[in-house]
Amino acid sequence: MHNIWLIVQREYLERVRTRSFIVLTLLIPAIMTVMMVLPAKLATLGQKAQHIVLVTSSRQFGETVRKHLLSAAETSNENQHGSETVARRAAPRQDVIDVDADPTESKRTLLRSEVASGAIDGYLWLTDQAIAAGKVTYYSRSLADFGESSFLSRELNQVILFARLTKDGLAPEQVDQTLKPVKVSSVRIERGREVKGSGGGKFLEVAVMALLLYSAVLFYGISVMRSVLEEKNSRVLEVLLSSATSTELMTGKLFGVAAVGLTQIVVWSVMAGAIALPSLAMNPAYSDLEIHPGVLAAFGIFFLLGYLLYSAMYAVIGAITTTEQEGQQLQFVIVIPLVISLLMMVTVVRTPNTPAVVWMSMVPFFSPLLMFVRIVVQTPPLWQIVLSALLLALTTAGTMVLGARIYRIGILIYGKRPTLPEILKWLKYANA
Amino acid sequence: MLLLLVITVSLKAPIPLPSSAASVELSGVRKIYDEFVAVDDLSFGVKPGTIYGLLGPNGAGKTSTLRMVIGITAPDSGHISLFGQPFERSHLRRVGYLPEERGLYRKMKLLDHLAFLGRLKGLAGPEALKRARHWCEQLGLANWNGKKVEELSKGMQQKVQFIGAILHDPDLIIMDEPFSGLDPANAVVLKDVLLESAKNGKTILLSTHRMDQAERLCSSICLINRGRAVLEGDLGRIKAARGHSHVQIKYEGDSRFLQERRLVESFNDYGNYVEVRLAPGADAQELLRAASASARLTRFELMEPSLEEIFIEAVNGSNA
Repeated sequence: MHNIWLIVQREYLERVRTRSFIVLTLLIPAIMTVMMVLPAKLATLGQKAQHIVLVTSSRQFGETVRKHLLSAAETSNENQHGSETVARRAAPRQDVIDVDADPTESKRTLLRSEVASGAIDGYLWLTDQAIAAGKVTYYSRSLADFGESSFLSRELNQVILFARLTKDGLAPEQVDQTLKPVKVSSVRIERGREVKGSGGGKFLEVAVMALLLYSAVLFYGISVMRSVLEEKNSRVLEVLLSSATSTELMTGKLFGVAAVGLTQIVVWSVMAGAIALPSLAMNPAYSDLEIHPGVLAAFGIFFLLGYLLYSAMYAVIGAITTTEQEGQQLQFVIVIPLVISLLMMVTVVRTPNTPAVVWMSMVPFFSPLLMFVRIVVQTPPLWQIVLSALLLALTTAGTMVLGARIYRIGILIYGKRPTLPEILKWLKYANA
Repeated sequence: MLLLLVITVSLKAPIPLPSSAASVELSGVRKIYDEFVAVDDLSFGVKPGTIYGLLGPNGAGKTSTLRMVIGITAPDSGHISLFGQPFERSHLRRVGYLPEERGLYRKMKLLDHLAFLGRLKGLAGPEALKRARHWCEQLGLANWNGKKVEELSKGMQQKVQFIGAILHDPDLIIMDEPFSGLDPANAVVLKDVLLESAKNGKTILLSTHRMDQAERLCSSICLINRGRAVLEGDLGRIKAARGHSHVQIKYEGDSRFLQERRLVESFNDYGNYVEVRLAPGADAQELLRAASASARLTRFELMEPSLEEIFIEAVNGSNA
């Protein structure tokens, strides 16, 4: 135990202290933040306050439209998302809308010259005739972007609809009532209890697990392999073996590197959480993102075990190869089960209880992802969860011991990659 | 240390050795890789406080033997005991090992690295650091304490590795080809440390294929060839048993006398001088007369055979 602890310590400290680790840990979130915030910032930078002239047949209607547009632009519909909204919210602009109730040709010529000279940004030809024809035109120096024109047409339609209905004699309250949109929400029944939610939150949980597992395995698994190769190639292994067993070395290395990966993931998660959660929480699609403590525990257990299993597989690859290139050629052994799990995810989400899915979620190489998906979608019986985790833990331990054995015998052979029969023969050497 | 030790001179049949206080004891050890017999029926014992040399040509099985002693591999048959007890991993804390293939973590700082090796051998962190500092000073590495291993020269890395093997003050020091790759100045430093350790009662088991070094350092040797011991025991006694059967001759001129089959069994020309092995029953005086008849002699010395001669003779004998 003492030796394992020393090795874990060394692996962890030597990695965490490197400049590249510190830079990467801090830089990636910074880059992500910049990538998320910059486009929105740029969009608002480009948008100065607009000065628009509304040309209507009656001043009263013009005022109604003006008010509606201004308030719509300000509150900017909490139900909508998209860059347009983000941009508007980021910096409320002081738009100016003038109303002009004089739709004559001479006025049109005047407005056109004002647009050309830059005195105003554009004008909206909203006469009764234009509305009757169903064809309203916005004139400006540049073509309005998609966000702008869809915003205008959506809001104008609402105002015009309102105007038409009130004109037909309906009271404004009745019109509001009529125009109120219907929102569909779905309710899931879990063990006889109603669980609210549109499914967006569940999807997010599963996606985060898949993404984290996949990237952690690919980032840090490979550094386990690299570190095994380094010890073999620098021949430091033989000195270590005079103090510690190869199983101790392997276990220590695995947990040490895993801890480095976890450190980075925790740092990133905290940073991402601080940045992303507030905006996620505002997004009604994820209103059911209420992470159950059980799900969180399952996430921890299956993520850790899966991460360790795949890292141990990388360690085995490191033990049987002599160069990184060779190791990378063997990576498919790791990537294939990961990809199969990813592909299976969709099926598991749809039908979490068919026998095939149940058994797939017991297979150690798939269970980290698939069992977790099942837990999130529809909690399976406890015995299945426990069995799956147990099989996973046993396989991880087995892979570790296997890797340690090959690792130890590997010191006797340098130069060429052993063939499969040779590896099998090595494993038979009871005490090498 | 008045304990008597049983040394097996004939190694053909393993004699079960009584458990003694020998630091290392091998009896009938055998190691086979696939079909290749790396070590075959090897037995020897190393007395505490001595320097013992494991000699042999490349591929003789020296490294395989040392790896079994340090527990990296286990013998397929036979027994190894350390400090008078059957091998146990707990013994390893009293053993320091310098493998033939040197290796360190390149990115680690020198002191951190040494402290790590020391702690693996059971030293407490601060103590390991203190000793590492002390040894770095002793071996002239003090200015490099904070550097990474990869910044050191090859020779310095060798010294670091050496310190790593002795940092925990082991009772038994096992070194596989300790002098290979060292320049003469550093080799002397290392040799002095080893001699000092032996004087302090530490046991040293080293392998080498350099006979001159073994001859100067070791009190006992085991000569192995093709995994088998061909000669084992106290070096002085081995040489004495061969008698004054060798002559060193330094000469100028005709070397015809070396071809006298009646007098010369074999000779080895070292450039500056020739070492001649006398034919059985030949008289050295007769060779002197023959040599002086044809060449101008500057030296003619009757002597014990050098270890190198013994080595070549033994290896040839066992290969035949």
